[in-house]
Amino acid sequence: MINKMYIRGTGCVSPQQTADGSGFLEEVRTYQTSRLPVIDPDYKQWIDIKLIRRMSRVIKMGVAASQLSLQEAGIQSPTAIITGTAYGCLADTGVFLNKMVAQEEQMLTPTAFIQSTHNTVAGQIALMLSCHGYNNTFVHRGFSFENALLDTMLTLQENPTAQILTGGVDEITDQSHAILERFGLYKSSNIDTTNILHSETKGTINGEGAAFFVLSGEKGDNAVATIDAMATLYKPTDVYERMNFCADFLSKNNIEPTAVDVILTGRNGDFSSDLSYDHIESSYFPGATIACFKHLCGEYPTASSFGVYAAVQMLKAGEVPPAMLFGEAKHKQVKKVLLYNHHNNTHHSFILLSVC
Amino acid sequence: MEKLMQDLKEQIIKQLNLQELTPADIGDDQSLFKDGLGLDSIDALELIVLLQQNYNIRIANPEDGPKIFASVRTMAEFITANQKS
Repeated sequence: MINKMYIRGTGCVSPQQTADGSGFLEEVRTYQTSRLPVIDPDYKQWIDIKLIRRMSRVIKMGVAASQLSLQEAGIQSPTAIITGTAYGCLADTGVFLNKMVAQEEQMLTPTAFIQSTHNTVAGQIALMLSCHGYNNTFVHRGFSFENALLDTMLTLQENPTAQILTGGVDEITDQSHAILERFGLYKSSNIDTTNILHSETKGTINGEGAAFFVLSGEKGDNAVATIDAMATLYKPTDVYERMNFCADFLSKNNIEPTAVDVILTGRNGDFSSDLSYDHIESSYFPGATIACFKHLCGEYPTASSFGVYAAVQMLKAGEVPPAMLFGEAKHKQVKKVLLYNHHNNTHHSFILLSVC
Repeated sequence: MEKLMQDLKEQIIKQLNLQELTPADIGDDQSLFKDGLGLDSIDALELIVLLQQNYNIRIANPEDGPKIFASVRTMAEFITANQKS
């Protein structure tokens, strides 16, 4: 039985330059709007022109991130493909539904329908790789990526030698941004991602992206980090439930809070929801370096996948990039990172990562 | 016929999202499938919808599909023969 997953490869398409081969956050992209789009790489380097014409942005993002992670892991095809997405292929869903209304449910074209299902990304990756292994997609709102990770852990317990491609992906469309903006989720003025983490107002910034990982129960030659444990907490009633859950998580995994070098939080600039992070940081990890990632990628239900990607980059480099620091760095060498994230204050997750 | 073929080429490019092509890249007699333009069965469905939407023509016998969609010229000839005046 395995007790941790080795991360053999990572790939990410995000609002930062994570897919162009440059070093992580060598150059930080800042935004003055409430909508952070991904920086599109040249998708034709991975996808045939005949296939690319049918793919919406989210599929291209997922395929590119998966290819990057497979390249880093040095494998052609994984044993299984497991993805998490909350919104799925939103753009094509919108196209299909708009046509249904405009054309009174007549003469609907197949492409938008075929490409609109939530498991299209995992299916398209499998088709491109001729991967006939286990293929599953989790659509569990703010826990979509976490449940994809959980399924990966369970699958690796049965077959530790497997190399599983696991990822999280979500996209913004004009309609989804407009609808979510109406709920008051995003800031409307004086937005600058450089200082949004110190904001004292409500609302955050919208984001999107795809992050994929090749995970295995065996170290292999190129593992850079491990996922040691993961736990989720849904709708905690108060701060005490969150704090007790965190204490139990550490205890169950035999980790002293002082062993955590970096607490990486999903702080997003909404002062009310960021209080959750304040409590955990100050109560359990006063000696740890505090780092954040959502000012770089924005808030979205599978943003924790970008968090895991960022944590792996920190473990690989052994240090926290200055752009991610929230306060001062307290450790010279980063060996253990606790990622604490929540989405809309309802979906809380803890993921513990270590250097190999 | 020339005008109809030009319109068809533009409509095919738009409907099938052939981003890399212009109407000039599609020959009047070039095969639309296999070694020609390389379209597939999903594209065939899109072309059937294109005929219905833009020319109000339904294909009564599916077995006629390969002949009708052989090239832009065969499509134009089919439209000319079947379009109600």
